[in-house]
Amino acid sequence: MLAAILSLGGIGLAAAVALGFAAKKFAVEVDPREQAILEVLPNANCGACGFPGCSGYAKMVATSDKIAAACPPGGAVVMEKIANIMGLAPVEAEPMVAVVLCQGDDGKARQKYHYLGVHDCVAAQKVADGPKTCPSGCLGLGTCARVCPFDAIEMTPDGLAVISRARCTGCGKCVSSCPRSVIGMKPLDATVHVLCNSHDKGGLVRKYCDIGCIGCMICKKTAPTAYEIENFLASVVYENHGDAEVAIEKCPTKCIRNFMDGYPEGSSFSAPTCMREAG
Amino acid sequence: MSVAMKNLKTFPGGLHPPDNKQWSADKPIEDCPMPDELVIPLAQHIGAPAEACVEAGELVKKGQLVGTAKGFVSVPIHASTSGEVVAVEPRPHPMGKALPAVVIKPDGEDAWLPGLQGGDPASLSPVELRDRIRDAGIVGMGGATFPAHVKLSPPEDKPIDTLILNGVECEPYLTADHRLMLERPEAILGGIAILQKILGVKRTCIGIEANKPDAIEQLTAATSDLPIEVVPLQVKYPQGAEKQLILAITGREVPSGGLPMDVGVVVQNVGTCTAIDDAVRRGLPLVERIATITGPGVVEPKNLRIRVGTSLQYLVDQCGGLKGEPAKIIMGGPMMGMAQLSLDVPATRGTSGLLLFTSENVPVRPEGPCLRCGRCVRACPARILPTTIAAYARLDLTDEAEAYHAMDCIECGCCTYSCPAALPLVQAIRGAKGAILAKRRKG
Amino acid sequence: MVDLVLILISAIFVNNFVLARFLGICPFLGVSKKVETALGMGMAVTFVMTVAAVVTWFIQYFILIPFNIEYLQTIAFILVIASLVQLVEMVVQKVSPVLYQALGIFLPLITTNCAVLGLAVLNIQKDYTFLESVVFALGAAGGFTLAMVLFAGLRERLDLCPVPKSFRGTAIALVTAGLLSLAFMGFAGLVKG
Repeated sequence: MLAAILSLGGIGLAAAVALGFAAKKFAVEVDPREQAILEVLPNANCGACGFPGCSGYAKMVATSDKIAAACPPGGAVVMEKIANIMGLAPVEAEPMVAVVLCQGDDGKARQKYHYLGVHDCVAAQKVADGPKTCPSGCLGLGTCARVCPFDAIEMTPDGLAVISRARCTGCGKCVSSCPRSVIGMKPLDATVHVLCNSHDKGGLVRKYCDIGCIGCMICKKTAPTAYEIENFLASVVYENHGDAEVAIEKCPTKCIRNFMDGYPEGSSFSAPTCMREAG
Repeated sequence: MSVAMKNLKTFPGGLHPPDNKQWSADKPIEDCPMPDELVIPLAQHIGAPAEACVEAGELVKKGQLVGTAKGFVSVPIHASTSGEVVAVEPRPHPMGKALPAVVIKPDGEDAWLPGLQGGDPASLSPVELRDRIRDAGIVGMGGATFPAHVKLSPPEDKPIDTLILNGVECEPYLTADHRLMLERPEAILGGIAILQKILGVKRTCIGIEANKPDAIEQLTAATSDLPIEVVPLQVKYPQGAEKQLILAITGREVPSGGLPMDVGVVVQNVGTCTAIDDAVRRGLPLVERIATITGPGVVEPKNLRIRVGTSLQYLVDQCGGLKGEPAKIIMGGPMMGMAQLSLDVPATRGTSGLLLFTSENVPVRPEGPCLRCGRCVRACPARILPTTIAAYARLDLTDEAEAYHAMDCIECGCCTYSCPAALPLVQAIRGAKGAILAKRRKG
Repeated sequence: MVDLVLILISAIFVNNFVLARFLGICPFLGVSKKVETALGMGMAVTFVMTVAAVVTWFIQYFILIPFNIEYLQTIAFILVIASLVQLVEMVVQKVSPVLYQALGIFLPLITTNCAVLGLAVLNIQKDYTFLESVVFALGAAGGFTLAMVLFAGLRERLDLCPVPKSFRGTAIALVTAGLLSLAFMGFAGLVKG
């Protein structure tokens, strides 16, 4: 019994001494805050902060002693935690959500030609600027859905990308993946959006799409503070988005949508049930 | 023929799609009449587009400069008839979008610019010859439209010992080069003499596919007392691709990522050769070319001598019009040509053909999973693995695609043609090539 | 000499640690997405296994047996192997940051790797001499590396295949591992005993 205790204890002691010695002798400086920050980050490695992955972001914050960029997916909660770790004031980031600014699926928008190539928007865009007649509408081949790290984008059966407001964290990966820049980052608390991306004149838009903005100004006349029109395309003035809802009914092409009323046609996402989910 | 074919030179891989050349092979070249409007795009070649040097309202003569070259890899653009410039504006281009073009309303006289003078190649220096070729706006007429003078300016450390004339015309349907070899052998020989002088080559070969025995016979007879070999080649696509042609004739393989000049070879199309002859001996810039208008969607297939800028619709009208609604319009050959959105685009210097297909000739097969049958690998003349690269390309694994030599793809389309699962292989590889280049530019 | 060769061959192919003895499945599934990392893991395991075989052999024959406390074998071996790996990790981190970047993340995994402990225990069970223990460790580690690299190669190819949705990821990896294991059964009978 004594032999057992002594020998095992001896081995343990020897190991402890060796490890203790090695820890001193071979110590490598690692900032513990870096690890702590990494632990509170979402670890989706989406790159929305502009750094290579979450570890890159953690390293940046820990080494530069300032929070130079916000973590959009993490939102205010994570930013506060990071600020606590670093003992700094958090960076204020307005919560954003990605919105596909198009409702022209195959049933509503015309095709310029029949595309038979690789099932990818970037590839299709290279063939005579994409198979859709509309130069700025959603191509519907799902490149954004494939890059989304949060599985927040679905493709409707008629070929339109729809982003779930509940799942989207605002990382912006889809925005940079879209070859036609159809996806925009919008404030999360705004639920009314003009879902069109075409700057063409009304007559042209009518030719190629049933649900595009024709720049008729009716929304602006109905709610002057909530809309602005630039290059024949209306958009919501997000500072005054609360007033935008009244114009939805008046829009002749029905391209203004309140997501509280539901997602675009064909989407399997259910309409947000509360403002928190919607915005 | 089959016995003789076995001994003919060729390259590994490739395939032989039904060539359908019989529709237009016996039709002599006809002059295309003058259309009501010529739309001359300023981007008709690989490299920087030309810059317009005329304005709306100006009167121009045939052969007058309308666009100046921008940089070394670029060529000037000339008016292809005399008349009034009615607009300089973006117009639909075969690339599928609207690009800047000079629009000319012909005056019907078709008068050449006075003062265009030919010269005797014997009395001109190689540099002067090359300058004439550049100023005439000559590009590779096989369809790639690479500026000819760039190919003829090899760096000092890359001596050129062999000149190959490409009269293969391996693309199905097309017969423009075939007719050219039958009807203008003297211009081809004149062009060869100029090229020989510029490059100072020891050996000159004319490669012709064995399905054009009359052209082989005619050129063999014409070159009997000249230091030029006529080399019959096995009938196989893409025999006319530059690297495959070099391998078949000289046995030299262009290294991965290299150019023909790395193995001491320059390849020029026979069409380019006649254009060079016209440019040097007669002083004429490149304003017209031979194109084959054919396919099951056109009433009467023809070989036409067309002015650059003639609309495709007009060309079709000269061939008896369309047979029903076209389902597919291809500019160039069926394998490597570009599908067009409409006939409302102009023919350019690279328009070697115009193919029209009706819906029964364009079977659309649903895409299936890869069967791993390896037909694309067997067919690939570049000897890469199309299915693997395409799979990597679809997963955006650019580095892996590059490691499998995606950049060596010549985009001949043999893989897509041979795929029983109808996978868009060459399209995916082309996407990967773009991504690799973008990554390299980024550094 | 023949014995040593037989031990080596047997450990690599016939009684492959991963595919026949089913030891070390965690890293086998965890770090086999790419051939390079699989090879790195294999190298790290080779190193640790060889060192662990040497140390545990000495512990067994110079401490446990003389003091008649063989029943403490498992706990003693775990203690020694864990400390050893920690030590190696620290030294590597300091001496060669590049190697640490390559191996570093795998080393903590090896600490609790049953393949290493299994090897040490098997060495004792089979009454191997010191030399035989070292050869057996090399063979076992070689077999582990072989299995890792083969499997990683398969998984790299698997990425390119249109796998049905329900089978994607770990599911198809496990099916593949099972098939690979079946394939290795073909080596049974190569070495007698």
